Amino acid sequence: MAPPPASAVADSMTAPAAPRDSQTNIDIMAVTKGFHWPWLIGLIIAVTGVGVAAGTLVYQTYVGLGIAGYQAPVFWGVYIITFVFWIGIGHAGTLISAILFLFRAKWRNAINRGAEAMTVFAVLTAALFPLIHIGRLWKFYFLLPYPNQRYLWVNFKSPLLWDVFAVNTYLTISLLFFLVGLIPDIAIARDRAVGWKKAVYTVLAGGWQGTGKQWKAHNRTVLHLSGIATPLVLSVHSIVSWDFAMSIVPGWHATIFAPYFVAGAIFGGFAMVINVMIPVRRIFKLERYITDYHFENMSRFILFTSLICGYAYGAEYFIAWYSGVEFEQTSFWLRAFGPYWFSTWCMIIFNVVMPQFLWIKKLRTNLPFLFVLCFFINLGMWFERYVIIITSLSREYIPAAWGLYIPSTTELIVLTGSFCWFSMFFLLFLKMFPIIAIAEVKELEIHDKEHH
Amino acid sequence: MPTLVSVYDLVSDTSNAVRSLKARGFDDLTTYSPAPFPELEEAEDPRPSNVRIFTLLGGLVGVVTGFGIQIWMSMDWPLKIAGKNYAAIPPMWIIGFELTILFGGVLTVLALFALGGLYPRPLDKHYSPRFSAEEFGVVVECDERDVAEVEAVMRGNGAKEVSLHA
Repeated sequence: MAPPPASAVADSMTAPAAPRDSQTNIDIMAVTKGFHWPWLIGLIIAVTGVGVAAGTLVYQTYVGLGIAGYQAPVFWGVYIITFVFWIGIGHAGTLISAILFLFRAKWRNAINRGAEAMTVFAVLTAALFPLIHIGRLWKFYFLLPYPNQRYLWVNFKSPLLWDVFAVNTYLTISLLFFLVGLIPDIAIARDRAVGWKKAVYTVLAGGWQGTGKQWKAHNRTVLHLSGIATPLVLSVHSIVSWDFAMSIVPGWHATIFAPYFVAGAIFGGFAMVINVMIPVRRIFKLERYITDYHFENMSRFILFTSLICGYAYGAEYFIAWYSGVEFEQTSFWLRAFGPYWFSTWCMIIFNVVMPQFLWIKKLRTNLPFLFVLCFFINLGMWFERYVIIITSLSREYIPAAWGLYIPSTTELIVLTGSFCWFSMFFLLFLKMFPIIAIAEVKELEIHDKEHH
Repeated sequence: MPTLVSVYDLVSDTSNAVRSLKARGFDDLTTYSPAPFPELEEAEDPRPSNVRIFTLLGGLVGVVTGFGIQIWMSMDWPLKIAGKNYAAIPPMWIIGFELTILFGGVLTVLALFALGGLYPRPLDKHYSPRFSAEEFGVVVECDERDVAEVEAVMRGNGAKEVSLHA
């Protein structure tokens, strides 16, 4: 018998129901909507800070680097310290996104977007500092492989050039990783927006509809980006460490520098993620998605990497003593008991002693405690770079050439401005795109629904 | 050609429907999913994605470019540095590695745009915002004489709604 015509079958089919949105979409997209006083106050402070720092930089560019605290023999100061600090902060995002993705650690889903955004903004912040440090901003292209007027190319044997390639590659790959992850969520925003916002999200979503073909390409892209970003993230801070370790300055010429820097970067990066995500969770009421379990897991990472940092600090002192090299021994003695003793002891107490409280489970989920601890860890990590750079450069081989470095007001304003610059980008991001990877959270929720 | 649009609540039902439809020869189908599910991708098309070819190609171009520019630039203006060869290979591994990653990553993302059809364009006629909420969709184009069979397969695998579009 011939089948009935399509129109007859259509009568028996159910009509499409009214679209029903998911609670996850509603909750997470709510962050981008409405008005939040703490957000506005934060943005005003951040923009003001950026303005003051920009004005200071214009003045520094006009009068020259003399107003920075540089004085013989220290010509790497707060700007290079802050560069290394921000590159380090940028490491947690890729670790959470790429490495935890490869290990199939599903708990990353609620925090990976925020951490990826922080990575991009932290590396953007870091990338400014070599330019600020060179003083003549318009000569930035000297860093690139572009021949000078005598057709002499850059020095490929210099770790400083390796750093240029590493940082730019890291910035590009982090940005791509971040944008690829955002595409499905931008489509969610597009489907629920109206007016000019819908037009913008439509362009950014690039025709994403969640078809099987799109998800397949997307999953493969995320997997491959994770695969190549994992060695990249380990290489970047290793190469930053070689800016120091490849030289023969006492206190710098050490083979432990690469793993020591990478562990320190992950340590500081996680601390910054916690420092940022605690207020975000509280202000935007995201307790359902970012739970104490996430903070406890991040605390464990902090505890583990703190132990590696502690080991590295100890190994440095041991090798300095065991080597029998007088310059190394003097350098490390002066770190602890010389003019910069304060920064060294801050580094040890904040980075090694204080995180040991995280052995206690109750403290790993005590958010006020974690917030304060992570603030001190960030301070400690900045001091770590201060200790490495300043104590070594100010006390090299010839005592007659020793000097004392004191950061200038200009440097401290630019340092503060860098935090404002980072915060400004993060706050704007909060109001434009979902802070939590909605599609990835829904993947877990739908699986849960299926199993119950 | 008639098009049937079915809506599901569960990924397992959607995957089963796709498998059943394909087993009956209805290959001209499109699925919509609010999140990534390997089982659904596997049901729709078990072949490996071609993104990997782009990643490999990018990596190879990157490593050749990385070493190539360094050797060429070092030899273009020969200068003895630290007693090493003009084009000493060991230090070149660093930039060679970085460019491998850079080119590999950029081509991987280009593959996503190319293979996933990601460019600003009108959305499919049967796409609905409910597929970016928490429901799944399977859309099948078929001959008029197959409509009843397709509907039966869809409903038999847990479709909560099926609608016919001309």
